[in-house]
Amino acid sequence: MSALDLIREELTQILADKGAETGEIAADTPLLNGPLDIDSLDLATLVVVLEEKTGLTPFADGFVLFHTAGELAALFGG
Amino acid sequence: MTTDHRWLIVSGVSRGLGLALARDLLAQGYGVAGCSTTFGDDLEALKAVHGDKFLWQAVDMADTQAIEGFVSAATTAFAGQRLWGVVNNAGMSVEGILSTLPVSDIEQVLQVNLTGAICLTRSALRQMMKTRKPGRVINISSITGLRGYTGLTAYAASKAGLDGFSRALAREVGRVGITVNSVAPGYMKTALSEGLDDRQLDQIVRRTPLNRLCELADVVHLVRFLVSEEAGFITGQTLVVDGGLTS
Repeated sequence: MSALDLIREELTQILADKGAETGEIAADTPLLNGPLDIDSLDLATLVVVLEEKTGLTPFADGFVLFHTAGELAALFGG
Repeated sequence: MTTDHRWLIVSGVSRGLGLALARDLLAQGYGVAGCSTTFGDDLEALKAVHGDKFLWQAVDMADTQAIEGFVSAATTAFAGQRLWGVVNNAGMSVEGILSTLPVSDIEQVLQVNLTGAICLTRSALRQMMKTRKPGRVINISSITGLRGYTGLTAYAASKAGLDGFSRALAREVGRVGITVNSVAPGYMKTALSEGLDDRQLDQIVRRTPLNRLCELADVVHLVRFLVSEEAGFITGQTLVVDGGLTS
C-alpha cells in the first residue's frame, strides 16, 4: 500500500470516529484548513500511525513543512 | 468501575509512593507496567501475586531511548489490552543551596523529574492516540513546586515544570477525552524527604491544619479516583494533598 493510500485509509477512520464527513482525499488535498474536518491532534495521530506502519521517522530531526496529503505521503516514501 | 483489559504505566515503582500506587492499581484490577532503576523483594512479591498483570523493567528516567523501549515492550506485553494511562511518579532530589549546587546535579534532577516524565508521557500518548479514546495522565508533583523550600530549588523547579506540563497537555489532548492532572503531595516520610530532620518535620506538622504528615494512602486514594471513569471531567488541575499546609 502506498503512503498516500495509508493516509487516505487512516484519515477516513479518523473522520469516521469523529462523525465527520469523508470527502475525496487527493494528493493535492490540504490537510489542515481545507475541506477535511481534521485538526492538529488528528494530524499528529496520523503521523504516529504512518511512522509505525512505514518504519520511517521523517520528523525525528525536526519538523518538516507539509501542506497536502501528497506532500505528507512523499515524506513517507510516496 | 471498569478496569478489565486496561493497563497503566507507572514510573518509579521500586519503593515509596510508586510502589504503593502500583500495588493499589493492581488491586483495583488494572494491569501495571512499572519501571524503576532497582528491583527488590516488594516488586518480586507483586509479580508473584499478579503474574502477567504486572510487568517491570529497569529504566533510567534520564535515558530517553530506554523510556521509549520500555513503553514499546510493555505495549507488546499487554497486546490486545487498552493502555489507559500513565502515572509519572519517578523522581529524585538533590539538596543544597543553589550557589553551591553542582550543575550536573541540577541537570540530573531536571532530566529525571521533568524531561523523563514528558518523554514517558509522549511515548504512552503515541499508543493512546491511535485508539482515539479517553485516558489518563497523572503527574506526581509536589507542594515545593507551588510554595518552594530552601535547598530544594532544582527539585521545586522540576515539579513546577510538571504542573505547567499538565496544564498544557490537558488542553492538547482534551478533545479525545484524555485528562491530565498533577497531584501535589505534602511532606511525606519517604526516601525523598530523608533530607528533612526531625525538627523540620515537627515544624511542618505544627503548621499543618490536619496536624500530621502526608501518608502514602492519602495520595494513593486520590490517584485511584483520578484514574477512574468518575474523574473524567477533571483536567488541567494541580490537586494538593497536604492536610491544608499550603492553604
